[in-house]
Amino acid sequence: MSEKIKVTINGKEILTTPDKTILQVAEENGIDIPHYCYHPGLPVAGNCRMCLVEVEGARKLQTACSTQVRDGMVVRTDTPQVKEAVRQVLEFMLINHPLDCPVCDQAGECGLQDYYMEYGQYDPKFIENKNKKSKKATPIGKYVILDQERCILCARCVRFTRFITKTEEIGIFNRGDHSEVDLFPGKELNNRYTGNLVDICPVGAMTCRDFRFKCRVWYLEEFDSICPGCSRGCNIKIYYNPHRPHKADGNRVLRFKPRFNPEVNRYWMCDDGRYGYKFIDENRIMYPLKGKEEVYLDEAINSFVSLLKESIPDRTFYLLSANSTNEELFATKKFFVDNYKLENIFLPDEDIFTGDRDDLLITEDKHPNTNGVKAIFNILYKDLIKLDELRELLEEKSISLLIVNRHELPEDVLDFIKENGIKLVYLGTNFNKTSKAADLVFPISVFAEKEGSFINVDKRFQKFSSRLEPLGVSMPEWVLFNRLSELMEFPVYYSSYMNIFKHMISEVGAFKNIDLNNINKYGVLVEL
Amino acid sequence: MSVKILTKHFHIKDSHKIDVYISDGGYKQAERALKEMKPEEILEEVKKSNLRGRGGAGFPTGLKWSFVPKDTGKPVYLCVNSDESEPGTFKDRHIIEKDPHMLLEGIIITSYTIGAHESYIYIRGEYYPQAIRLQEAIDEAYAKGFLGENIFGTGYKLDVKIYRGAGAYICGEETALLESIEGKKGKPRLKPPFPAVVGLYNCPTVINNVETIANIPAIVEKGGEWFASLGPEKNGGTKLYAISGHVNKPGVYEHEMGYPLMKLINEDAGGVIDGLKLKAVIPGGSSVPVLRAEECDINLDYDSVAKAGSMLGSGAVIVMSEKTCMVRALQRLIHFYKDESCGQCTPCREGTGWMLKIINRIVSGNGRKEDVDTLYYIAKGILGHTVCPLGDAAAMPVMSFIDKFRDEFEYFAINKKSKVE
Amino acid sequence: MSVEISVNLRKKIDEIKKKFPRDKSPILPLLHAFQDEFGYISVEIEEEVAKIVGVSPVYVREVSTFYSMFNNKPVGKYHIQVCGNISCWLRGYDEIVEYIKKKLGIEIGETTPDGKFTLSRVECLGMCDQAPVMQINGDFYGNLTPEKIDEILDNLE
Ligand SMILES: Cc1cc2nc3c(=O)[nH]c(=O)nc-3n(C[C@H](O)[C@H](O)[C@H](O)COP(=O)(O)O)c2cc1C
Ligand code: SF4
Ligand code: SF4
Ligand code: SF4
Ligand code: FES
Repeated sequence: MSEKIKVTINGKEILTTPDKTILQVAEENGIDIPHYCYHPGLPVAGNCRMCLVEVEGARKLQTACSTQVRDGMVVRTDTPQVKEAVRQVLEFMLINHPLDCPVCDQAGECGLQDYYMEYGQYDPKFIENKNKKSKKATPIGKYVILDQERCILCARCVRFTRFITKTEEIGIFNRGDHSEVDLFPGKELNNRYTGNLVDICPVGAMTCRDFRFKCRVWYLEEFDSICPGCSRGCNIKIYYNPHRPHKADGNRVLRFKPRFNPEVNRYWMCDDGRYGYKFIDENRIMYPLKGKEEVYLDEAINSFVSLLKESIPDRTFYLLSANSTNEELFATKKFFVDNYKLENIFLPDEDIFTGDRDDLLITEDKHPNTNGVKAIFNILYKDLIKLDELRELLEEKSISLLIVNRHELPEDVLDFIKENGIKLVYLGTNFNKTSKAADLVFPISVFAEKEGSFINVDKRFQKFSSRLEPLGVSMPEWVLFNRLSELMEFPVYYSSYMNIFKHMISEVGAFKNIDLNNINKYGVLVEL
Repeated sequence: MSVKILTKHFHIKDSHKIDVYISDGGYKQAERALKEMKPEEILEEVKKSNLRGRGGAGFPTGLKWSFVPKDTGKPVYLCVNSDESEPGTFKDRHIIEKDPHMLLEGIIITSYTIGAHESYIYIRGEYYPQAIRLQEAIDEAYAKGFLGENIFGTGYKLDVKIYRGAGAYICGEETALLESIEGKKGKPRLKPPFPAVVGLYNCPTVINNVETIANIPAIVEKGGEWFASLGPEKNGGTKLYAISGHVNKPGVYEHEMGYPLMKLINEDAGGVIDGLKLKAVIPGGSSVPVLRAEECDINLDYDSVAKAGSMLGSGAVIVMSEKTCMVRALQRLIHFYKDESCGQCTPCREGTGWMLKIINRIVSGNGRKEDVDTLYYIAKGILGHTVCPLGDAAAMPVMSFIDKFRDEFEYFAINKKSKVE
Repeated sequence: MSVEISVNLRKKIDEIKKKFPRDKSPILPLLHAFQDEFGYISVEIEEEVAKIVGVSPVYVREVSTFYSMFNNKPVGKYHIQVCGNISCWLRGYDEIVEYIKKKLGIEIGETTPDGKFTLSRVECLGMCDQAPVMQINGDFYGNLTPEKIDEILDNLE
């Protein structure tokens, strides 16, 4: 496989391996070959015919997506003959395509528009009536709208449901120019990855019901992140609208899309993760609360310090969250374990053993960072506490201060706390019943608003950054612990994120093979 | 009197019955091949015979068989192409109706040669009575022990099954045919891999036309050299010419390869009807370029027809008299390709539909002068740019009709009526 | 709605499954068998066939809508399919089809009100030596003339 061969594309000599296609080699070398049906995550179909290239010695033009390279192969993508062929294929593609770009959500991300600008721009010769298809803008599932007239029949969606989800809901019915992409009559898309259909459809035939008409894509900006929806840790891009600052009901983040990581999610992500972005802007805790009143941060912190001082470590209890970043967990450990000498620090089993998993991406643990908790606190699954036994535990240990990071406590625990005058402090991003019952609430920034790292189900350490400002005065947990440390007169270690990150890497045993200066963009495996 | 191989039993009463076939020496060659010849020896004879595929492409049959990889551990299949949907073609039907056992004997020898134990005859769905006749022949052969386990006591086993199509010209294309037998739409596959290596159910597969296979017993009997001596160089054997259209006696005529086209029209088929003048001939099924009358002084073998700028194709000769409106004739053909395009690839799917809209408009009296150039332009955009040869098959008639009869097209487009009618 | 399967059809289904055990191969023969029984392929039949073969019904529908011989709508008792391709056209398709249309009072693609005849135009039937030709429910009729058409159609029950 590693045998090297020489291929020449447009006069440029390239060393490569024979297991690749012309298109792959060209892409790797920055030579753009137009294509629609080819998608690197799907089996080759070779049906759109956009990727025609000239191969020396071949009688006809060849499709770059399906032709393997050979030693000594000479390829040209820039001859008049190739350009004319590609232009004409594009023209064929457009004759029955509706002219509705002004109302099409795909506009700005559409393969047809892009290549038309590059290759098209001919005098239209087509003066006939366009073919009609049966489905114009029809919902075919919870998240996807199908417009058959815009479809160019590249069959990416068909291949996705056959080879990736293996759910086989989509077919191409009829033949010739009557061919239509569709589901079986009366059926809906029934897989948990339907958002990917919108991503892979090169035109506006499959669009997203969730995103529909929300925003023209050219107003959006994006940054790389990690989906926090489960322990797979799919790599994503977050798209947000920087021109519409957050108001109470305005949303900054408008969509997630998967980002390629060959080791984690390849090109895909699940719908739960993709459409689970709304918590970033909705129902957020933005300011500290004391007895349900918004207070200044200083006041809240002072109150927290008083509570910590009133209580003793033996009667204080901390519920960790596997949604916290490694850096936050590290700061938590420094503060509570090393300095406050807390022993009652636990990870509850909530949403870890859901049993909801599949063979593609979805894992049963609906937290992004359970392995982070394990790495930093040396907690094993058998050490997890059961939330429904929490009541007895609190009673047994006569707890007087309970600090909860993000979890939703069972009703009986909330009642018990109330009846016994236990003080409840809540650290979290969004309101829930527990935050509403708490004496003190601290606003924590969501993953998309901070730098950090998670360790996924396969022990892959993945870093992420942010371009969103935290809402209100919400902050990463480690910032909160810095402030608390000052007042508690504990050492304050961390002046910046980089600072805490470096400390963490050097101190946590599991992270010993992470090279600070060279963190792979696809993440690093750690030892747990 | 020329040699007859394929039609030699056609005149005999009940020629389709196994006893009739056996009484004229039938199944002797299969028996001899299985008992006395090694597969390599048979392959050698077939190579020597210069037999070229009768399905249209004229690919050397022996060479095709030799592509089957040995010892892959996978079964090998023989698929017999009896889709016969190329307009003007009806020769395979005659073999199936009148001499199905010759085909079966060919299948036995071929399967033995390539190491297949299962063979599929893919027959177009419309050939329903023919499928029944073929099944009766297969049943007869099983009953005699010529098919099934331990054939001729040699231990060789072969099953033959009929798979019926359901109305799709594209399933004559060999990879679409495989898809169809696998129970799918007839959507041609990308090549490579070639079927000889990855074919039916991903196993090595040979696909041959009915007429090709029906020649095999004769080649085994009389030897490859004998077969090659018939017809011109590299065009071994005889050919079934199926002639239709404006002739007095349309039908199937067997002659040595290289038979003169004009002789076929004037002698075998009794000349153009009503004493009309010949205008044009499509010499190899609707997909090949048309010839003007003055270009028809050629011999019907692969190389000679190619030299005249067309193709022998399936050997289906479609004759058009001076009364034929070439615009309407082409309209028929475009309609056909547009109907039969599988729709997988862009140029063929969109191009055939576009061409049909234009030619329909011309014929309905709404043509414009530019339409003729646009038709040509579309055909050129299809040619050579598609997954399978159906695209070319749709483009070539359009280009050749316009090249050769442009005045008629322009006349129709401008004057809103046919120049001929 | 479920599909009522007769004893005879059940027997055919079993034979087909035995004869073509691999992959989706039973789909075409099964669709032929169901069409022979029911006259056309309904969505329910597609689902039934999918169940028999053990595949997503999408595959069955892809097949049943791809091949022109599978009717996705009910057709008349007699399905008249006239070849309109080149060889038949050269030998008088236009007049033949006009004659049938007039005789039955229907256009191509239509069924007579009594449900007896459906008229279709089809591509080359491989019977060009007998052009013009038509096929009715599997049987071929060649060298058609108006008189011959009268004789054939008038004799159909
Ligand atoms: C669109 C199309 C239709 C075809 N139809 C037939 C056919 O009906 N019968 C046939 O034998 N070959 C047909 N062929 C040719 C086959 O692909 C294949 O070359 C042939 O069956 C090989 O057999 P041979 O080598 O014996 O000719 C067709 C090819 C194309 C592209
Ligand atoms: S809907 Fe989109 S992905 Fe599916 S075939 Fe059509 S263009 Fe391709
Ligand atoms: S599989 Fe998990 S990590 Fe991936 S997108 Fe879905 S919820 Fe997010
Ligand atoms: S050329 Fe036509 S028939 Fe062949 S694969 Fe393409 S669309 Fe299908
Ligand atoms: S990208 Fe190669 S044919 Fe579509």
